Amino acid sequence: MRRISSAVAGGEKGGKGGPLLRTLAGTIAAIVLFFPLYTNLVGGFKTNGQLISDPFGLPHPFTLHAFALLLGSSDQFWSFFYNSVIIAAGTILLTLVCSMAAAVALSRLQFRGRTLLFNFFIMGLLFPLTVAILPLYLQLRGLGILGSRAGVILAEAAFSLPLSIFIFAGFFRDVPWELQDAVQIDGGGIITFAVRVMVPISAPVITTVTIITMIMSWNQFLLPLIVLSDQAKFTIPLGVMQFQGQFTTGWDYIMAFITISLLPITLFYIFLQKYIVAGLTAGATKG
Amino acid sequence: MILFLLIVVIPVIQAGYYSVFAWNGMGPAKNFRGLGNFVDMFSDDIFLTALFNTLEVVVVSILIQLPLAFLLALLVGRRRTPGEVVFRSIYFFPYVLAEIVTGIIWKFIYHPRFGLPTVLATLFSGHPTEIGLLGDPNAAFGAVLVVIIWKYLGFHMIIYIAGLQGIPRELEDAAVVDGASSAQVVRHVIIPGIRNSIIISAFLSVIGSFNIFDVVWALGQGGPVHSTETLVTYLYNFGFKRFAFGYGSGVAVVIFVLCFVFNLLYQRYIVRERENA
Repeated sequence: MRRISSAVAGGEKGGKGGPLLRTLAGTIAAIVLFFPLYTNLVGGFKTNGQLISDPFGLPHPFTLHAFALLLGSSDQFWSFFYNSVIIAAGTILLTLVCSMAAAVALSRLQFRGRTLLFNFFIMGLLFPLTVAILPLYLQLRGLGILGSRAGVILAEAAFSLPLSIFIFAGFFRDVPWELQDAVQIDGGGIITFAVRVMVPISAPVITTVTIITMIMSWNQFLLPLIVLSDQAKFTIPLGVMQFQGQFTTGWDYIMAFITISLLPITLFYIFLQKYIVAGLTAGATKG
Repeated sequence: MILFLLIVVIPVIQAGYYSVFAWNGMGPAKNFRGLGNFVDMFSDDIFLTALFNTLEVVVVSILIQLPLAFLLALLVGRRRTPGEVVFRSIYFFPYVLAEIVTGIIWKFIYHPRFGLPTVLATLFSGHPTEIGLLGDPNAAFGAVLVVIIWKYLGFHMIIYIAGLQGIPRELEDAAVVDGASSAQVVRHVIIPGIRNSIIISAFLSVIGSFNIFDVVWALGQGGPVHSTETLVTYLYNFGFKRFAFGYGSGVAVVIFVLCFVFNLLYQRYIVRERENA
């Protein structure tokens, strides 16, 4: 209560920055920052002619033509969508299994070189995939999975491991050792402990990792770009980039495409924002 | 663990190895040429433009983006502005967008025939004026920088907000009671209080800058006439596309060294800070 009352008092004492003025400033910033998104959102509901004559106004007349064309008569969109979903699902699954296993080992088992190994993974947070992109291409070619969705999944999962391990290990470390002892007394090993105790209690962390992995996979461009060459396997970012090259004037179509591709992420963002913000800034704020 | 080793670690080492060959990626690496790739690189104007542009992203991020993010955090991170949560959600949203999508949306906004600069210029000058920022080699990278700031502003704001919430309210109030002005509170209480957030956000912003690719790619693939090339687009255009794997690996090594040196500086700095504390 004291905190709330002092917060109110602080606001009034703020002098130059009264609450009204602050709200105004916040609104102006919001309008400026939201403007590009607004442009895209309304753009999908305009005709192409109107986009050119009145690019930033409200749709008039309002038309679903671009959406109908996109969802109805073009198989391409659904193919991109399908590929993105498959790749995201595969990446999430692989990331969860590998990172949880590694995090259990790193946080609950005593073995030589544990800290070294942990730091080694954390270093992965700091070295981005661009450095490894050429040899990675050769590696995947060597494994014979170049050009396949499995190749993209493998690569994306590998690059999402450091952050996921970091998040899981931080959480697992705080699980009371008594729980593990109790399982051991009942005759269970570390695997029983992990499956029966750790997994059920880490639901919120699993949610966080799932969502950020999903967003990263959904948005990833460079990896699928180098791995995939067959258009039938393209993901949404590759697809939208390709459309943008083909239909140089069909902006209504492109914007409708973008709007639909943003839907899943926007829904997650609205309903699970806490997890998203926590996950995406986890590497940063704990530093 | 094996996956990580296979996909992340080994390629990084391989990049270093390949960088000393002129190799097209077929068969075993051959045509050893020592540091020849690096000599070529640093005598290529396009590479130097890419390097310069990348450093420009670093400078602009630190000098413009971070202060803006800090101001936003002050505005909506201290429980003093009504509707803070809504504002935060709006400011952060661009970060969740795919970078490629970001680039395409902005490509429309910059469109020379009906984009925002053209509309505004026509409005203010009274006669039809076309402004094609992305088509002008002198202006294009500036336009790219605006997009980069827009995209990552919210992310840095959140880091600062996390820092702000660690400052005890009482500390600020005490300063106000002692007669400090708002500016003095910011200068002497808030900035020291979120030091760590500032260091972290600067660090991430530098590492991120070294690796800018998608946004630039969507806006113009490094063009016009290579004026918006960054290290990674250069790597892609001149290494991957041309199957010059040795040369491309050399570029990757440069990126790696930049990150690594920067990392070392950061680690040393942080370690020293903690020892002093």
